[in-house]
Amino acid sequence: MPRSLRVRLLLGAAIAIFLALAAAWVAMTLLFERHVERRIEADLIREGLQLAAALSIAPDGSPALEHEPGDARFFEPASGLYWQVSTDRGASSSRSLWDQHLPAPVDANSLEWKNRIVDGPFNQQILLVERIIRPERSGADVLIQLAHEQKSLHEAREEFGHELAMFLAILWLILSAAAWVQVELGLRPLRHVRNEVETLKRNPRERMAAAHVAEIEPLTLAINELADAREKDLSRARRRAADLAHGLKTPLAALSAQSRRAREAGATEAADGLDQAIAAATSAIEGELARSRAAAIRAAPSGDVTVALPVIESLVGVVEKTEFGARLVFEVNIPEELRLPVASEDLLEIAGALIENAARYARRRVRVTGEASEGGVLLVEDDGPGIGPEKVAEALMRGGRLDEAGSGHGLGLAIANDLVDATRGAITLTRSDLGGLKVTVAWRASAVSASR
Amino acid sequence: MRALVIEDEAAVAQDVAQALSSAGFVVDISTEGEDAWYKGSVEDYDVAVLDLGLPRIDGLSVLKRWRGAQRTFPVLILSARNDWTEKVAGIEAGADDYLGKPFEMGELIARIRGLVRRAAGRASSTIEVGRLVLDTHRMSATYAGRPIRLSQLEFRFLDYLAHQSGRAVSAGELAEHLYGADEPGDSNAIEALVVRLRRKIGPQVIETRRGFGYLLAGDGG
Repeated sequence: MPRSLRVRLLLGAAIAIFLALAAAWVAMTLLFERHVERRIEADLIREGLQLAAALSIAPDGSPALEHEPGDARFFEPASGLYWQVSTDRGASSSRSLWDQHLPAPVDANSLEWKNRIVDGPFNQQILLVERIIRPERSGADVLIQLAHEQKSLHEAREEFGHELAMFLAILWLILSAAAWVQVELGLRPLRHVRNEVETLKRNPRERMAAAHVAEIEPLTLAINELADAREKDLSRARRRAADLAHGLKTPLAALSAQSRRAREAGATEAADGLDQAIAAATSAIEGELARSRAAAIRAAPSGDVTVALPVIESLVGVVEKTEFGARLVFEVNIPEELRLPVASEDLLEIAGALIENAARYARRRVRVTGEASEGGVLLVEDDGPGIGPEKVAEALMRGGRLDEAGSGHGLGLAIANDLVDATRGAITLTRSDLGGLKVTVAWRASAVSASR
Repeated sequence: MRALVIEDEAAVAQDVAQALSSAGFVVDISTEGEDAWYKGSVEDYDVAVLDLGLPRIDGLSVLKRWRGAQRTFPVLILSARNDWTEKVAGIEAGADDYLGKPFEMGELIARIRGLVRRAAGRASSTIEVGRLVLDTHRMSATYAGRPIRLSQLEFRFLDYLAHQSGRAVSAGELAEHLYGADEPGDSNAIEALVVRLRRKIGPQVIETRRGFGYLLAGDGG
């Protein structure tokens, strides 16, 4: 059994149509043969009646004809059309019979026309009609026999059967094509469902449209319920992972307190070891949190767009409170209506990491610019020392794993890079005209259109 | 100097309290939200260290209640939640600084000292220039009654201009005041600062006198 429903339906239809047409072929050829046979029989009987009308009995008791039937085939030997009249005393036959005879009758007394198929002269199978007549009241019975060979009938039947088969084959093709169209039309809603499931796979927040044919609707409802359950599971798992990571931080802080106590008690080496372990665990947690956030976005792109300006202003408000942010001027040049194709919490993480990083290295100024070209562009510049081209890959930690990063600090660019990548954007690092680093985040245009 | 440490993890609370005591603070410890809110409402602290994940009332709600009741002492949030979303929520609820767990005790103490120093230097007074009102204690401003969020640098800029009684101040002098005399003046940074303040408050508040410098428009435009 083929796995494809389409192939199954098409195969089934093709076979069923073929069987029906084959049966039609058999029936029609039989009907045709019978019809032709009847026509021949009727012709023979008509000729026989003419023969009978011209018949008389000669004085010697043999049959005599006033004139012979006119059909040219009666005069050509072995032509396949024969007549023969016979009495006890003698017989007369068409020239086509030559020296042969038609077979003797089975029922010698019938006054009705009888027909049968028998082997006849010249090794021909013939259709034979025969009856007894009495041309004169007192005279003897005369047997009239007429015959027509069967071969031409068989030939006609074969020819007809052949032509009919050709016609039916074409009909079979046409009906199969119709069946194919029907199958395609019938399966179209399923394909529609498949496409929707495909988008649902890309974005778990998508749902199947309500407008489906009645037979498909229960399926789409079930899929939607499944998607709801899946989304719930996904966010629960994500929350649990985040909670676990966050939950580890307070014990780490407590551990750090122990380390200080140990240091005060003079166990410096033990404290150093503890501090190192704490730092490693912390950076592993931060890296893992960042990585899992990026993974969550990749697994479930939200398709959200966020108005950039309020988010950036909030972030600047936070960074201005920090030790290094307090002495800086933040220029924010973002059009009020600029939307970026990122969920607001993701934009907060990306821009937060970039602005904090810029503030850390800036001397006086940090400039945040937004542009609406393509999917949206965010530029973060500072007037600090900048990064040399040879350090770019290292700063973005391309190809590296965040949770394997050595230290807790300086992760900002790498975290932002990972998140930007997850939101279908790209980061480039160049030199700013302010003198320091210029981080350009450009989102692809398709990311916006896909979300609409 | 009085400090309130709000932290439900006893080991961390003890550790912070001990470090603050060594730094000269008298420390109260609170281990849950309702108690913290009550203490902060009735006692006068110079600084509070606030954990966000607390039993009974969460830290953010405690902070909002304090700020809603005009309790203005500086608050440093000390939280395991180190997302920017959390930081923004904390600062917008009225926190003055934010530190993620686990933290270096030295950094925490330095930041607390910074907060206290900034708050202590301010007399509780307001300066009015036209429709602009500067609150020197909270380092905040209103313009025509509308509150304006200012960074320290922005506040110091406005504060300096407000004290010049209508005199135009050059970019060089402003840079020297903001960044100190030993650093070279940076008029670009001052220009950027002016642009940002005009966007925040309104274009007419800071006037440019060509060849002289900047001054606060007395009539408020």
